[in-house]
Amino acid sequence: MNLEGKKQIWSSYQKDIAEDNYYYARSCIRQNFYPASEVTFLRILREELGKNIFDDPNHTTCTGIGYHSDIVPFDTIQTVIARHFALMTEAGLENIAISCVTSFGMYTEILDLWEHFPEQLEKIREYLYKATKREFNVPKNIAHTSDIIYKFREEIAQKAKYKLINKETGEPLRVVEHIGCHYAKMFPTKGVGGAEFPQVLSGMIESWGGNVVDYPERRHCCGFGFRNYLIQANRGYSVSNTKKKLESMKPFKPDFIVANCPGCAMFMDKWQYTLAEMEGVTYDENGYGIPVLTYEEMAGLVLGYNPWDLGLQTHQVQCESLLDKIGIEYDPKAKYLDKNGNQLPIPESPMNLKV
Amino acid sequence: MIDVLIIGGGIAGLETACSLQDLGYETVIVEKEKTIGGHLNDWDTLFPTHRSAAEVLEHYTEETRKRALTIYLNTYVISIKKQNDGIFEVQTSRDVVFHCKSVVLASGYQLFNAERKEEYGYKIYDNVLTSADLEKRLKNLQGEFTTPTGVTPKRIAFIHCVGSRDEKSGNHYCSKLCCVTAVKQAIHMKQLCPQADVFCCYMDLRMYGPGFEEMYREAQEKYHVQFIRGRLSEVAENANGSLQLKVEDTLAARPSRLQVDMLVLMVGMETAKSTELFAQSCGLECASNRFVKTKDHHIGSNQTNVDGIFTAGASIGPLSVFDTVNHAKSAAFAVNDYLKAMK
Amino acid sequence: MDYVAELEKDIRFQEALHSCLNCGVCSAICPAAEFYNYDPRMIVTTVQRRNNDEIERLLKSNTIWYCGQCMSCKTRCPRGNTAGMIIQALRLLSQKCGFFTESEKGRQQYGLKKTIGESILKYGYCVHPILVKPELHPEQGVIWEWVVQNQDAVFDRLGANLYKDGAGAMRKIHQKNLDELAEIFKVTGGDDFYNLIEEDSKKKAKEMNMSTDENNNEYLMHVLTYNSNEHQD
Repeated sequence: MNLEGKKQIWSSYQKDIAEDNYYYARSCIRQNFYPASEVTFLRILREELGKNIFDDPNHTTCTGIGYHSDIVPFDTIQTVIARHFALMTEAGLENIAISCVTSFGMYTEILDLWEHFPEQLEKIREYLYKATKREFNVPKNIAHTSDIIYKFREEIAQKAKYKLINKETGEPLRVVEHIGCHYAKMFPTKGVGGAEFPQVLSGMIESWGGNVVDYPERRHCCGFGFRNYLIQANRGYSVSNTKKKLESMKPFKPDFIVANCPGCAMFMDKWQYTLAEMEGVTYDENGYGIPVLTYEEMAGLVLGYNPWDLGLQTHQVQCESLLDKIGIEYDPKAKYLDKNGNQLPIPESPMNLKV
Repeated sequence: MIDVLIIGGGIAGLETACSLQDLGYETVIVEKEKTIGGHLNDWDTLFPTHRSAAEVLEHYTEETRKRALTIYLNTYVISIKKQNDGIFEVQTSRDVVFHCKSVVLASGYQLFNAERKEEYGYKIYDNVLTSADLEKRLKNLQGEFTTPTGVTPKRIAFIHCVGSRDEKSGNHYCSKLCCVTAVKQAIHMKQLCPQADVFCCYMDLRMYGPGFEEMYREAQEKYHVQFIRGRLSEVAENANGSLQLKVEDTLAARPSRLQVDMLVLMVGMETAKSTELFAQSCGLECASNRFVKTKDHHIGSNQTNVDGIFTAGASIGPLSVFDTVNHAKSAAFAVNDYLKAMK
Repeated sequence: MDYVAELEKDIRFQEALHSCLNCGVCSAICPAAEFYNYDPRMIVTTVQRRNNDEIERLLKSNTIWYCGQCMSCKTRCPRGNTAGMIIQALRLLSQKCGFFTESEKGRQQYGLKKTIGESILKYGYCVHPILVKPELHPEQGVIWEWVVQNQDAVFDRLGANLYKDGAGAMRKIHQKNLDELAEIFKVTGGDDFYNLIEEDSKKKAKEMNMSTDENNNEYLMHVLTYNSNEHQD
């Protein structure tokens, strides 16, 4: 693999990412499975980078999962997203920071559509006004939240307490990244680094000391597939596609997986458990599975945040081996404490997947 | 006063120049490179006969020498202006301004830059080559053939239509020569590495010329080259440096993964950047594929929208050596008609 | 009904289908094509032929329901087509015509409406801890089970604001915001579409002798869990 060739591609896909003053669009899946990642993102922006970001209680889902499950009509999702633009406009903001890859794809697609079909934009303005009496400006800048971390990756590196380096060997950690289909596959120029060799996570990994490992199924879908997971009867599709990725990355012996999209992170974590329980297979050498981090968790670890504040205890594949590799200090006894320091019950152990 | 200024010293330019000189016209060739012969310099063998490209080149070198043609090397054209008296003023990179009665565009083509097809990993994965890279490798071959990482290839794939028939690459048209080149190179690889499995992934096999279909048949029957009807979707590198291809076998309607040691991208032809440079200065019309537009597709393929400016060879679109030589010859006749009428 | 004319009214269809040269780059990387007897290229070919009978067969089949909407096909198509968006148009039409209940995979739309669809209007987000029940989600594992069992304490520990007023992750969405969402659904046809799925599904349930009562929704459990493993059409 020749990095120079990738750099050549990266240079042609650098997008504008706003400096400051963002309207925060939460993610259904991220806040559900990785609430601490959203907390961490806001903390990094506000406390480490001194940015202004508005977390609006009036925000709702964009309905993207419903839309891609073909139960929410196109006009409906456009109007719901228009409402978010109205909330942003009312807050005096022009930049939107979206915490979900599918939402990011939807927002991008809709703005593109409105550009090509202005009459559609007018129709949606009328719908929104009729339904809510709200009006809106389209955002000046739209970024996925990882774009913002990417933009400030060097600032974060300067404040870092840890590097993505194996403490024992001094070697960079081998990191596998997963971007999430809706980030740039639909609109390559809207993603940092484009669709084929996205740089958004690679950039963070390299700035923080790690090595990105490419593997053949890197671009393949995590296996969500909307109705193919949401309907229990269809989950064979979901687990099979994830398995394909895990098998493909195994020979590269990754130290961890980092995902751009919250759903992808969740599936690659949970399906490792399922595969271990169903088939007795794991994709690391010792039977623990490959830890899967969100990029907020990765950034939080680098900045020295407490792993239990980051929510690593809620991952099915345990992360302690990774923490030990980096040399991160943590208190094993605090793993299952509540906010006030009271002990919570200890989760059951899986049958096959070691914890 | 020069009668004909010929832009390009490849086989098109040389053939036109020789013919016009023989008809008694004073001709000058300007060539941007340091040698004549154009792309033929980089090629090992030619389809469908597998004869050496050097042989053809030698023929033209000899013909050029015999006629003592005037050739300006390392010189490129900046602008062409037609004056009111019908004489062309041609500005070049050398501070030389030519005045001539007619101009022949024999400025040819350039190969598609395969880096633009990002998902194929050219310049990222070591064992991904272009058809031109392979020709160079074959031309300079000493001893056993190996891939760029030094492996004797057991599986090789040729990918047709790279940068052709592909709007995402900006080229909607067929480059027409890549199919037959792929078959030629596939046979060549089988001759060098008889144990290797060789695959050609194509969309439509365009074996349009004399001897082409026969070569295709030979590739199947004698060399057992395997033809898969499907366009390559993406390439990735395995841990051992081999490559994984994702391609649908469209005749079986199933997606498939192909593991190979070496991948050859059949890069298409694009209009030369150098042509685009001066085309605007003289109001030369280009077709939607950006090559020079011919005045009449059927009966005026050497004429352009500007009287006195002619085309020879691949400046009008992808052409084989065979077609280029014929087109160049007919260019000489077209120029002759024009200059005779001028007197 | 002239299905082609109906499809052409869909703005997504207009954007997604120019003409197909059958190269197969979409199918080569399609996750659904790897798993099912499915080929996005063939969908495009069928639609491109504009044969009404063939399209009707498609609308009634399992085939249009296999796509996972990853949109990987959009990146690659050399003619700028998007099979995944043609699928969206076909699925919409299948539901509008009431054909979706004729196939096993199509009937699942009822399950999606009842879960994700209703969660949107009830909680303001597509996914909620309450929706990801460990008994319906064994793959979520023992840690998720632990999260759900200790929901308040765990979300609290992680800095979320589960089912409470104010900002933050998993907060309770204020009624006025839910009202706005509901109004948007009403104005834009989202409500009508939910009702259409509901009504056609109930008709089908009756035909299949299954109840759709709130307390014992046999049909819902059926569409969520039944898999014949015969997906040849």
